[in-house]
Amino acid sequence: MKIALKNMSTLRCEVLIIGAGGAGLRCAAEILEQRPQTQVIAVTKVAHPQKSHTATAQGGLAAVDPKDPADRTIFHMFDTWKGSDCMADQNVVKKISEASWEQIIWLENRGMHFSRDDQGRLSKRTFGGHTVNFGEASAYRAVFEADRTGKGIMDTGWGETMKRGISFMNQAIATELLFKAGRCIGCMVFRMKEGHFVRILSKATVFASGGSGQVFKVTTNCRQNTGDGLALVLQAGLPVMDPEAVQFHPTGIVGPGILASETLRSVGGILRNRDLEPFMERYAPKMKELAPRDLVARAIETEIREGRGILNPDHRIEHVWIDLRHLPQHIHDEQIPEVSGFFKKYLNLNPKTDLCPVRPSNHYHMGGIPTNEFGEVQNAAQEVIAGLFAVGECAAASFHGFNRLGTNSILELITMGKFVGQRVLSFISDSEGSYPEAKPVRTEAIFSGYAEARGRDNLGKIRDALRAVMTQNVGVFRTEAGIMAAIETLRELKARAEQTALSGKNPVMNPELIHRWELDNLLDVSMVIARAALDRKESRGAHFREDYPERRNEFNDHTLMMMPSFDRIEARSRPVEMCLFRAGGDHSEQFGWIARKY
Amino acid sequence: MEKVFNITLKIHRYDPELKRSWMQTYTLEAGRILRFVDLFRKINDEQDPTLAWNSSCEHGQCGTCSVLVNGKPMLACELLVENAVAQFGTATFEIKPLPVAPVVRDLVVDFEKAYHRVDTAKPYIIRPAPAPKQGQEYPITANELDQYVNATRCINCFCCAAACISSHKGFLGPNAMLACIVRMMDARELEKKQREEILFGDQGVARCHSSHACSFVCPKEIDVAHFIALAKEGRYKGGAEK
Repeated sequence: MKIALKNMSTLRCEVLIIGAGGAGLRCAAEILEQRPQTQVIAVTKVAHPQKSHTATAQGGLAAVDPKDPADRTIFHMFDTWKGSDCMADQNVVKKISEASWEQIIWLENRGMHFSRDDQGRLSKRTFGGHTVNFGEASAYRAVFEADRTGKGIMDTGWGETMKRGISFMNQAIATELLFKAGRCIGCMVFRMKEGHFVRILSKATVFASGGSGQVFKVTTNCRQNTGDGLALVLQAGLPVMDPEAVQFHPTGIVGPGILASETLRSVGGILRNRDLEPFMERYAPKMKELAPRDLVARAIETEIREGRGILNPDHRIEHVWIDLRHLPQHIHDEQIPEVSGFFKKYLNLNPKTDLCPVRPSNHYHMGGIPTNEFGEVQNAAQEVIAGLFAVGECAAASFHGFNRLGTNSILELITMGKFVGQRVLSFISDSEGSYPEAKPVRTEAIFSGYAEARGRDNLGKIRDALRAVMTQNVGVFRTEAGIMAAIETLRELKARAEQTALSGKNPVMNPELIHRWELDNLLDVSMVIARAALDRKESRGAHFREDYPERRNEFNDHTLMMMPSFDRIEARSRPVEMCLFRAGGDHSEQFGWIARKY
Repeated sequence: MEKVFNITLKIHRYDPELKRSWMQTYTLEAGRILRFVDLFRKINDEQDPTLAWNSSCEHGQCGTCSVLVNGKPMLACELLVENAVAQFGTATFEIKPLPVAPVVRDLVVDFEKAYHRVDTAKPYIIRPAPAPKQGQEYPITANELDQYVNATRCINCFCCAAACISSHKGFLGPNAMLACIVRMMDARELEKKQREEILFGDQGVARCHSSHACSFVCPKEIDVAHFIALAKEGRYKGGAEK
């Protein structure tokens, strides 16, 4: 296979967006609405932006409605701060919360098909962790499009950007960021359909590459989420923030691991163990099934570990049940048709009459590329990298800290998407006309290495071993010994990966080539997650250490991890922004280092 | 009790360098509720890493993994081994790419080209109505939304377009019609004239032969043919049906 870059073509555009999901396209839409004719290229790994992982999000969007007399943005901010286990950056929390309703209306006015009430207004529902009066009662703060809210956001996003002349480059992967004099000037991209590289020079580059769930064996994430964006950033010598902050959704459907939305619980579903006991009463007496996700996930895992789980014979995965049998017909048919359909479809079960098997599944990465409140990427010294932005799940601004509340993720896409779009606009209008150039330094060597490697090891087995050890040792429960064993395994797997060879030599739509590249990204991301999980000797939010089960003040900072090489990880920290606490006004004490009890 | 099936897959291969296509046979053992995407992956991992196929969400939400299974367009992620054997009455399956776009390799087609037909139908609001009050939602009752909500569930998997017996060059396709019809029925779309031109123009519903193949294969169980039939009846002329 020839991986020669000397004849590669070069494209120029004003804005390059890596990833065309909800965040990337909200950002693009903002740019194109405010400054029509801006040349925007959105590169995506999937066949078309509509196929982005955003489209699978079910539950809803949190937003305080100014017309709701019971709700206030300060309550949403508090819920988010508390949910984050005191690690969200308060300037970001404030900014997003205050912008939420406006962005809901932005979507609605552009045709998103939100569910409605009989007066024609947006329907609302409760969601785990969202309260009024600082935890007193559940807030009706989530708007939704049936149980396919992400699809609605995605359809609105790609429709609007297409309407305004965006260029999509589909089935393409970004392989190396390009810099000149410390400024990001573009990216190397490999076009899978064509089988060749292209250099894209841009005035501004925005990472919107999504999650990294494929690091874990049981995940709700799509096949494409192999942490590519994080790996690219690490290779560029930049840090990843809070990589150990990984969320495990409590109810993944046994087998495919796909999302069985929190909605099942918010409409009244009950979790039961082998003895059919509604065990959440023991773990969260007041909120029960609506306690935040990490609490519910650990409750289920504890039930399983203590022998009260059930073994599924086909998938050989232990699980608990979710009981939906008592819910009225109209709830089944109107509120949860899609997710009920999953149980039928993938297990041949009927939720109206059968208990349904669920197990915690990796779901979301709170950690990511560190940015400020404008989405500008920062290095370990918190200096802004000119020309480089990050938004959405791949970024850590940080909105979610160490645990993300449901309905806050897709909210982040449409709010930060807009803010980053605005910032990019002011950045590019300040830039001069010419496009600085730089040559890639790593891409040719890496891909030639893949093409020329000799060896007989099996890519699939290495990948499966990686995902198994991460789920087992760096998942819902973590210990020092377990994580160290995982790190050792990762090192072995990295060496094994170099012993795999490609049987297909043509670069056009070559699955092995892409899987090999993805494996390296999975290894890099797994290593920083594991190292950060090892270093953080406390439990906070979704990061739980059996050997350090309490939260500790000495860890009240963000983690920053850099990877000069696979065997050398450098750790730094970054303080948490606490403007709401510092403001000292009404309720500022709610934004101090508060306990996270529900 | 575990049940394991012996499955034979005859899969379409295409080599873009040699411009050669052929059918390749793979046999494998598969647990009863494995999906066909799991089978393709198993083939990659254990038998043939060069087999190219596409998937993303692997749970019926993104529409990437659509293929022909014994001639029927389906999502490979939704087809369970035991259901396939029961439905087709065989443990041998012929897997081919959807005939809606040029094949890139094996089962991977250039979806982007298939989307051109949908793009022509303008899958966005061309001219949005202003909300009655600034900063508020446009009122749409649950009842109104109900009239077209099923059409909004389309994921553009192109199964309907593949099954459609009308010419793929002459007709924008059933999913493109849905994209247009949704905005025709949505009170927020003021641009009804362009919508009518698309729906009732040269490549619009007049090309539909009412085979209902689209509804038959839709993985989201949208009655696509019904929406098109309403259009042919003239229901959408002049805007949303109240």
